Amino acid sequence: MLFFILSAIGKVLTKDEERDRDIMARIKARDASALSELYDQYNRLLFGLILSILKKREEAEDTLQEVFTQIWEKAEQFDLERGTVYTWIVSLTRNKSIDRLRSKVYKEQKKQSTSLDNEDVFYPLYSDETDPLENTILTDRAKKLRDALDQISDKQRKVLQVAYFNGMSQSEIADEYDIPLGTVKTRMRDGMIKLRELLAKEIEL
Amino acid sequence: MSNENNRFTELCTGHVLNALSDSEEKKFQQLLADANEDQLALYDELKAVAAEMATLAPAERPSLSVKESIMQMATGVANSQSGKTGPANVNRMRWYRVAVAASFIFIFTSIGLLFYSQSLEEDMRGQSQTIAQQQTTIEQLESEVQRKEELLTILEAREVDLVMMAGMENTNPNGYGKVVWDKQGGRALLQVANMPAVPTDKDYQLWFIVNGQPISAGVFAVDDPQRDNFFKIEQLQSDAREGAFAITMEPKGGVPQPTGDMYLLGNM
Repeated sequence: MLFFILSAIGKVLTKDEERDRDIMARIKARDASALSELYDQYNRLLFGLILSILKKREEAEDTLQEVFTQIWEKAEQFDLERGTVYTWIVSLTRNKSIDRLRSKVYKEQKKQSTSLDNEDVFYPLYSDETDPLENTILTDRAKKLRDALDQISDKQRKVLQVAYFNGMSQSEIADEYDIPLGTVKTRMRDGMIKLRELLAKEIEL
Repeated sequence: MSNENNRFTELCTGHVLNALSDSEEKKFQQLLADANEDQLALYDELKAVAAEMATLAPAERPSLSVKESIMQMATGVANSQSGKTGPANVNRMRWYRVAVAASFIFIFTSIGLLFYSQSLEEDMRGQSQTIAQQQTTIEQLESEVQRKEELLTILEAREVDLVMMAGMENTNPNGYGKVVWDKQGGRALLQVANMPAVPTDKDYQLWFIVNGQPISAGVFAVDDPQRDNFFKIEQLQSDAREGAFAITMEPKGGVPQPTGDMYLLGNM
């Protein structure tokens, strides 16, 4: 199914992925201009992702800088056989953001009190803008994902949103929103599996 | 789906969302290390799905200083690595250019040094030749000085006989000669001028003629007829008050009795 997802996404991303792989090859070859191109391509998306997790611009900018520094220094670790450049740098960005979020400094900060049942107190976890990324292909992908999210249950979607954009662990979600840990795990697993099926189906259509 | 697969899927979804506890993460890493192809494929798929969720993040623009810092880092690192053997095409090109430039500098410097060393060698060879020539000149001068000193010792004698010789009309009309004879010391100084150069197989021979009998006083050769030539004559012992000196041209090394033409003649 990965073949369908990646290859189908690849049908949409062919030019982008080819471009990204070319950029990564140049970055591996220590071409600084390639890093500049990659930054121009993804800085808004990644910064938005980091900001949604860390909530602070200064911290988010530091993290974004760390991400691109790691891309520059660890470019050799990117494995073409295990996924796209996009997946690699987004995973890297999330890992960096989560690491910082779960650092002692952040843990000392007072956690924001929210409720899954109260829509108003939610930070806007993801954008509803029509073209927030100023990138037609990414916007098209965002629309497909949004459509897929609309087809999973509200509870599954909210767990995924909180985990993904707030960087909360399953146990933190369970504690924070007073939901049994097993239920959080089940909602997360079922939601992701459903999303996987929907995205593959969506793309196959 | 087996329990094992259920467990893997549950941990995998938590992992791709960074939502596992530390112990669960360790467990998942163990399962991942032993995962089969289907499980690895599921892992890659879920990572791709999770990454797709980033497209929903509200796009925000970081400040310009972020990119500036990143590019400073990249260019700084790139420049610092330019001297190393790395995979970078750009840096490799820079390194290559530096290497080529260094090679050219090395080659030109080597060629320059080669020419310089050759020039020095030629100079040294020339200097050596000059030194050898000067050494020869010095030796010649020293020899000349020594010879002149020897001649002077003859002239310094208290009593000397002076015998003037004139050129023979038929063989050497412009010839001139002089014998300064230190009878007490048994030595004489012979001075000749305007004498033809002798062939290589000939020598001039000086004769002291007493009572009509010629006595050989030595042989000599004249290389430069234009200048006066001086010769020292050893072992010229005689108590004779009268006599004559004559110079003939004889075979190389001289003969017991004169056989050749006479060139100079002078009476005491």
